Amino acid sequence: MAIVMVVTLVALVGAVIAGLVIGPTSIGTWRVVGDALSHVGVGHSTLTPLQSTIVWQLRAPRMVLGLLAGAMLAVAGGTYQGVFRNPLADPYLLGVAAGAGLGATFAIAGLGGGLTTPSWTPLLAFVGALAAVIVTWLIGGRRLRSSPATLILAGVAVSALLTSAQTYLQQQSTGSIARVYIWLLGSLATASWQSVSMVLPYVVVCAMICVGAARALDVMSVGEDESRSLGLPVRRVRLVVIAASSLGTAAIVSAVGLIGFVGIIVPHIVRLLVGTSYRRILPISVFFGAAFLVGADTIARTVLAPTELPLGVVTALIGAPVFVVILSVRRPVAL
Amino acid sequence: MSVEVTHLSVRAGAKVLVDDVDLAIEPGTWCTIVGPNGAGKTSLVETIAGLRRPSAGSVSISGRSLLAMNERERARSVSLVPQHPVIPSGMSVYDYLALGRVAYHGLFRNASPADRAVIESVVERLGLSEFRERDVITLSGGERQRMVLARALVQSTMVIVLDEPITGLDLRHQMELLELLKGEVAECGLTVLATLHDLTLAGQFADRLVLLDQGRVILDGPAGQVVRSDELAEHYGMNLRVVDVDGADVVVPVRH
Repeated sequence: MAIVMVVTLVALVGAVIAGLVIGPTSIGTWRVVGDALSHVGVGHSTLTPLQSTIVWQLRAPRMVLGLLAGAMLAVAGGTYQGVFRNPLADPYLLGVAAGAGLGATFAIAGLGGGLTTPSWTPLLAFVGALAAVIVTWLIGGRRLRSSPATLILAGVAVSALLTSAQTYLQQQSTGSIARVYIWLLGSLATASWQSVSMVLPYVVVCAMICVGAARALDVMSVGEDESRSLGLPVRRVRLVVIAASSLGTAAIVSAVGLIGFVGIIVPHIVRLLVGTSYRRILPISVFFGAAFLVGADTIARTVLAPTELPLGVVTALIGAPVFVVILSVRRPVAL
Repeated sequence: MSVEVTHLSVRAGAKVLVDDVDLAIEPGTWCTIVGPNGAGKTSLVETIAGLRRPSAGSVSISGRSLLAMNERERARSVSLVPQHPVIPSGMSVYDYLALGRVAYHGLFRNASPADRAVIESVVERLGLSEFRERDVITLSGGERQRMVLARALVQSTMVIVLDEPITGLDLRHQMELLELLKGEVAECGLTVLATLHDLTLAGQFADRLVLLDQGRVILDGPAGQVVRSDELAEHYGMNLRVVDVDGADVVVPVRH
C-alpha cells in the first residue's frame, strides 16, 4: 500500500513536470522550476516573456485541467463501481456522456436559432449531462432497492435515446460534424485558467464526497440488506455519492469533452495493486487518475506534434496494455 | 432487552406475508420460528430486524419502536445473521468483523480502542484467532457462518436475529454454531429470535417455539410442547413422530 502510494505520488510529480516542460518549444526543467520559484520571491527567472507565457498560460492550465479531469473521472468511476457493485460501471453509466454530447452538439452546430453559439458548449454540455442523470434517476431510482439493475438499465435507455438524438442533429448539421467529433473524443487543447476555475469547485467538493464515502462503500460490499442491518443509511449514501460522482463528471465533461477509459480502468488498476477496500482505492485513484491523464495528454500533444492525437485514443492505448500486464501478474479481485 | 411485536402485518403488493402477528419475547429468551416454506418466517424476522417496513402494527425493542430509531440506533439494538450472507472477496476476516462496529464509530472515524477490544473478545470467544487475517472468501462454509455470527456479536446488541443460520452446514457444524450461540446467550443474556427448518434442533435449542403458517401464528409455547403438538404435523402436511433420545426430543418424518 505504502509503496503504491509513493510510486503514485512520484508519477504525479513526474507528470506535472512533464506537463510543464515537454512541448514543441523546448524549455529546460530547472529553468521552469526557477521561474516558478521566482514567482514566490526566490531567485530569478531565466525564461523569456514568450516562454513564460507558454508555460503558465498554455501548458500550466492544460496540465491542471488534466489533473482535475483525471482525478475526478477515476474517483467517480471507482465510486460507481462500489455503489453499483458492478465492475463495468464507469462515470458515464447513467447518461452523462450522452446528455453532454447532445448539449454540446446543440451548441457547436448552433442549433439554438441564434440563441446559442459554440461558446455555449460547456454550459449546454453540463446541462445536458445533469438532465440525463436526473431523467435516469427518475426512471430507475425508485426501484433501486428491489432491483438495483433498474437504474443501470435506465441509464442505458436514456443514453441510447440521447445518443440517437445527438447523431440525428449531427447529421442535420454536416458543416459542424468534424468539430462535434473532435469534442466527442475529448481534448485538453482548449484549457484555460478560466475553465480550470470553473470546474475546480465541483471537482474538489465532489471528489471529497466520493473519498469521504469510501468506508460506506466498504460496508456496502456486503449488500444492501446487510449494510442496513449494520447501521448504514444505504439510500442516503447512494443518493449522495451518485449525485457527487455525476455532478463532478458533468463538470469535467463540459470542459474537456468525453475522455474515455480513465474512469473504468484506473480504479481497476488500483484495485489490483492495493486490494478491495475503497478506503485505499479511492484516494489512490485520485492521484493515479490525475497522473495518468496528464501523462497521456503529454504524449497526445507531443508524439505527432504539431498535430495532436485524440486524448481518448492515447488513454486507451496506454491504459489497456498496462491493465493487461497487471491483470496477468496479479490475482484478479472481485468487487 | 425485550422484543414486542404488536398486530404486525407485512405485505408485498397484494400478497400478505405476515398477518396480524403478536409476539412478546422476554429478555434472555431464545425464540425460534418454525413453519413450512412460504409461511412468512423470513419476512417476520426481517421486519423485526428493521429491514422491512410493516404495513400495519409495530415492532419495539425494550419499549422503543424500531421506526423511531435511525439506522445506527437500530444497529445497536438488533443484529442480523442472514440466510445467505454476502461474502465480499478480498476482505480479511478482521475487517469483516470490524463492519459490526460501524454503528458505533460512524463512517468518518476509525475503530476506537474500545471497538477493537470488542472485536478481539469475540474473535477469542468464537475461536477465530487463526483466521483473522485470512481472506473471507477462502473460509469453509462452517467457518464463514461462524464469522457471520461473530460479526453480529461484534455489534453488541442484546437482540440477535438469525434467519436459517445453519443452512448448508453439515451436522457437526450445525451443532457447533448453535452451541456457540447458546453459550453467548447464557453468558451475555442475549435475546435470540431465529428461524430454523430443522425441528429437532429448533426444539433442542429454543426456549420457545412459534409455528407460523400463511403469515399467522398457529402455535406459540414452550419448545417441548410445540414439537409434540398434532398441529405441527398438520401444518407441515406430513406424518411426524417425536422420539425421546436420552431426554431430547427428536422429530422424525414418517412416510405415509
